Amino acid sequence: MIELPQLQMEYLRLLLNKQMIFLTLSSPLDEISFSLGPNNLPYNLPIHPNLVHFTIGLFAIAITFDIAGALYPLEKRILRFLALPVTRLSFHDVGWYNILASCAITFLTVATGIYEMLLAAPIQGVKSSLGLGAMPTMIMHGVGGAILLLLIVIMTVWRGFQRFAWRRDLGRQVSWSYLLSGVLILVILAVHGTLGAELAAEFGVHITADQLLAAGADLNEVLP
Amino acid sequence: MLELLPKLNDQNLPWIDTIHPIVVHLVIATALISVVFDVIGVMARRPNLYEVSFWNLLMATLAIFVAIIFGQVEAGLASPYGASRDILNFHSTIGWSLAGVLAVLTSWRYVARQKDPNILPKGFLILDGLLAALVVTQVYLGDKLVWIYGLHTVKVVEAIRKGVVS
Repeated sequence: MIELPQLQMEYLRLLLNKQMIFLTLSSPLDEISFSLGPNNLPYNLPIHPNLVHFTIGLFAIAITFDIAGALYPLEKRILRFLALPVTRLSFHDVGWYNILASCAITFLTVATGIYEMLLAAPIQGVKSSLGLGAMPTMIMHGVGGAILLLLIVIMTVWRGFQRFAWRRDLGRQVSWSYLLSGVLILVILAVHGTLGAELAAEFGVHITADQLLAAGADLNEVLP
Repeated sequence: MLELLPKLNDQNLPWIDTIHPIVVHLVIATALISVVFDVIGVMARRPNLYEVSFWNLLMATLAIFVAIIFGQVEAGLASPYGASRDILNFHSTIGWSLAGVLAVLTSWRYVARQKDPNILPKGFLILDGLLAALVVTQVYLGDKLVWIYGLHTVKVVEAIRKGVVS
């Protein structure tokens, strides 16, 4: 009968020490920290934010041109007035090839995003303008990125089936539901991009100047 | 008069986030993909890709003027320090030049396209290479302003306002 309380005591002590145990655990980051610069990356400029241009830019232009192709009968006169001869097919060509390119590059966008998120060191104690801390912002941006990749892949496959099978003989190459989905994804992309921008501008993730300032350095000296 | 201007937030902006980096998504993506589609069009002999690259080029030309407008406003509010002053000057100069280069390339393509949309003018690929090089340089400089010098980030704006960075 005396063993049980003893065990409970032991458990309690462990619980109290949990914070300590957690603090003494080493992170795999420690093993590579010597090879990282002040921005917590092994290189000067992060890659993910540069690939994002293509994911967002190409997707936005793809949807825009498919909308232009869908509304072609309304635009004909304006295009003629502008002396800008164009076939409906060219608009839909832009819609197809741009989303195809966006889809291909987004795999790299997400891959580099995961890598650079693993190395992220957000400034402590900051709340974003959306009222979120660093961890919720990173989790939402990370999980959101994977979901968006899936959505973009689905959209591209859907677009391909419409182009080459379901709507092959139709002038309007895309269905209205495809265009609506595209616009909705653009809205999600905008929110998602805002989270990513906050990780940089407010949490200082992978920004040399911010990280140096957070470490108490004098920028006039270390970043002349 | 000055009090009529909107208040600046903790990123020294009259709006919630920097807008210039959002608009340049469109310029960078369309300008570079236009070059890519020109190259693929020539190599794979797919003239319908010239249409795709023309429309992307036109979009790049329209978007870059919007990017410059926001870029100028946000550069004016950036209070660059140290070497970022020179980088910002180069970035502005190349930005305006790119607007000119894009406008000239697009007009040339427009005229050539009126004649025959299935032919890429001779020598255009060389100019495509120049365009891509300019865009990549411009992105590199802009990246430095954000990711090295942290212009318009909360931490740097705070330090500039305190006067610890100049």
